[in-house]
Amino acid sequence: MTSPNIDAELPERIVELRLPSRLGYEKVAMDAASSLAKRMGFNSDRIEALRTALAEAVTNAIEHGNAHDSAMKVLVMLTVRPDELSVTVADQGRKTLDEDQTRLTPRIEESFDKTDKGGWGIWLIRELMDEVEFSTGPSGGNQVRMVIHLEK
Amino acid sequence: MSTPAPQPSIELSIPSELGYEKVARDAVAAFARRLGFDRDRIEDLKTALGEACINAIEHGNAQTPGLRIAVSCVCEGERLTVEIHDHGLKHYAGHSAPPRIEHKLSGLAPLRGMGLLMISELVDEAGFEPGPNGGNVFRLSVYRRRPVSAQ
Repeated sequence: MTSPNIDAELPERIVELRLPSRLGYEKVAMDAASSLAKRMGFNSDRIEALRTALAEAVTNAIEHGNAHDSAMKVLVMLTVRPDELSVTVADQGRKTLDEDQTRLTPRIEESFDKTDKGGWGIWLIRELMDEVEFSTGPSGGNQVRMVIHLEK
Repeated sequence: MSTPAPQPSIELSIPSELGYEKVARDAVAAFARRLGFDRDRIEDLKTALGEACINAIEHGNAQTPGLRIAVSCVCEGERLTVEIHDHGLKHYAGHSAPPRIEHKLSGLAPLRGMGLLMISELVDEAGFEPGPNGGNVFRLSVYRRRPVSAQ
């Protein structure tokens, strides 16, 4: 690789998506991410894992972070690196995610007795992705960064 | 379900690099599906959008690394409109006159000028819009096909 242009040597490529906070729009992020992951050479199992994790992260942002306010946006940033795909989902933080909530391990037995079967999203994301990090985004909203490694 | 929603819209931006137009296509197709557009219309839209993005990458951004393409979509009633923004390093088609062969030969118009023709065949409206800061803005619209039987 001896391209004279320095920009061409940048190891990162970024795709950005801005979605309204309405359920169903997580599919836009899922399809964009799987398109990208396929292009990078991830196998179909990993792509399914990525789709599921991203669906959880975006629906969390829609339902909780932006509290279903469809004027609020969910920002999804897909960063392609030679050996990994990093996905950041950020909301506008109408509701702030409790630090404790990012570490819960729900118990299936307890779920049986509850009418609300939710609460598995973050646990699932941690199970499916190689790196997961919750933080506060630059604009004060909730942000989750998920990384999936490309194994060759 | 709570407050009345504004017009459904999404925005995305991709690196100005061949191959990434597929990501834009897949994202916009998911948006159109979410809005209930039918499969044929979505296929037309995908093909047209892919062509438009490639034009923007190759011509509008003149294949310059590090630049980006912005794609915005909005659905107003029956019409889904997609705008493709590039940096306008080349203005690769006039606002009114169709591309001329001498422009193609001198590189001012796309060599694959069939792309624009194909786009106009596939979608209901297509053309350049005046863009901010000298960039090209290509806009295309498809109308929702009328339901065959009931809603």
